[in-house]
Amino acid sequence: MNKFQYPTYESSHEQKHRKRLNLQSWILTAPAMLWLLFFFLLPYLIVVIYSFLTPDIYDIKFELSLESYRQIFNGDYLRPFLISFRMAFITTVMCILLGYPVAYFIARSSEKLRSTLLVMIIIPFWTNLIIRIFSWRIFLASNGVLNDTLMSLHLIKAPLEIMRTDLAVGLVMVYVYLPYMILPLYSVIEKIDFTLLNAAMDLGASEVKAFFRVTLPLSLTGIFAGSILVFIPALGAYLITQLVGNQRSLYIGQVITYKIKNIPRNWPMASALSLTLLFLVTVLLAGAYFLWLRNKQRRRGESD
Amino acid sequence: MKLHKGINLSIFTLVMIFLYIPILILIIFSFNDAKIIVGWKGFTTKYYVQLFQNDNILQAFKNTMMIAGLSTLISTILGILAALGLENKNFPGRKGLMALIYTPLVIPDILMGVSLALLFNFTQVNTGMFTVLIAHITFCVSYTIIVIQSRLEGFDNSLVEAAMDLGAKPATIFWKVKFPLMMPGIISAALLAFTLSIDDFIITFFTSGRGFDTLPIYVEGTIRRGTITTINALSTLMIGGTIFLVVVTKRIRKSLFSL
Repeated sequence: MNKFQYPTYESSHEQKHRKRLNLQSWILTAPAMLWLLFFFLLPYLIVVIYSFLTPDIYDIKFELSLESYRQIFNGDYLRPFLISFRMAFITTVMCILLGYPVAYFIARSSEKLRSTLLVMIIIPFWTNLIIRIFSWRIFLASNGVLNDTLMSLHLIKAPLEIMRTDLAVGLVMVYVYLPYMILPLYSVIEKIDFTLLNAAMDLGASEVKAFFRVTLPLSLTGIFAGSILVFIPALGAYLITQLVGNQRSLYIGQVITYKIKNIPRNWPMASALSLTLLFLVTVLLAGAYFLWLRNKQRRRGESD
Repeated sequence: MKLHKGINLSIFTLVMIFLYIPILILIIFSFNDAKIIVGWKGFTTKYYVQLFQNDNILQAFKNTMMIAGLSTLISTILGILAALGLENKNFPGRKGLMALIYTPLVIPDILMGVSLALLFNFTQVNTGMFTVLIAHITFCVSYTIIVIQSRLEGFDNSLVEAAMDLGAKPATIFWKVKFPLMMPGIISAALLAFTLSIDDFIITFFTSGRGFDTLPIYVEGTIRRGTITTINALSTLMIGGTIFLVVVTKRIRKSLFSL
């Protein structure tokens, strides 16, 4: 009898304990949760509402209108979206191509050297964004350092017009977002067991083949994480495109910002464009997640 | 093995040049005695002097530090509390909160700027220091929670259990054992929040009114107006500050926590 009751007593005690723990968790997480609900989630509700209203030069009119969405579906804003996606894509690919060898080099160097090299990557990353962009303006301007040097070396006759082109935007984007690719890649490559690579080569695989069959598949998670960290901010970038880009080809971040900030304002349009961007990012992330899951399953299948 | 090592080394060197050349040029030209960027016109420190005589810059610097300090403090406290609450794996609100924490990190930050700008318009709040502070806490808090929480997860609970076995009160266990163990995570989180706050342009741009400039906002305005002579000097000081912060952090972590 006693033995029989013991577990029920214990479980009700445990239940109490768990309830107490959960209450404690609610209290501890409440400030952050409420903060994010009020200042992260709720504002999106307002963006949704505003996207169905009527613009006013300085403010907004509380009259329902589908005009913003009509213009988006009409393709009026296709170009800024396209050039933003194209630039984010190019930037991501360039960051993989440049970042991978760098991350690999750091991961494979001696432990003492490693932390110094990492700090060297982190310093520009911690330097103020606007200053890094500004330094490129000095470098690339038609009377800037690059042109000055090339001209005094008589390598070119007239200054290269790189500032205010897509090339400048691309260069600066790679420059700004490269550390976001290198750091996750490094942390993945560092954990790779390189005896696997040696084993593959002992078994007769060439260096290239061993890399593509062993190292690269093992670093896919890093490439994946890095790509998301680069692609998404590059997609919504405003400051880079504004400071070194061409005003004739506006990126989506600029279009949205102008509609909010510049007069005549068009907040419904800015809202609808923001939601479109959000929707596209969500689709993209969902697709990436799906691919990642499938890749994981396939690898598990292979190893079985 | 030799071949790809050589290739990696050369790409590494090129990337390092790529990462540092613009910064070096900026530093060198902050001492250049010329109104515009062209050519070297001799060494001067006059732009540094001008910098400290410019009230707008000093005010922007004060604003930046105040916002960064306050948003770091508040977001770190929110982060500590939330991370402790999330330790309980059976917590029913866990999944929802995790989604709420991670979502801001995977959407472009311009969207947070837009949504907060519209929130403050809708609620008719005057934009200024207060709204910028709210915005900065909002984008910092996800990071502080994640950093502190990831430290808690890799946490060796044996010390806490030992203290419990020895009969220490819960409050004593927390302040004498757990909190000191959380400290490295808390410091990392605070530093990250501080840098993110100082660095932010776009969200501040959307949430600050006229008359409340942080340094990035001031710098952008100055570049737009074309009066950039002191910006080189200002940038150099800020780069110096960054390097100082990175090195000091490393030192502190090494000596205090032997990490």
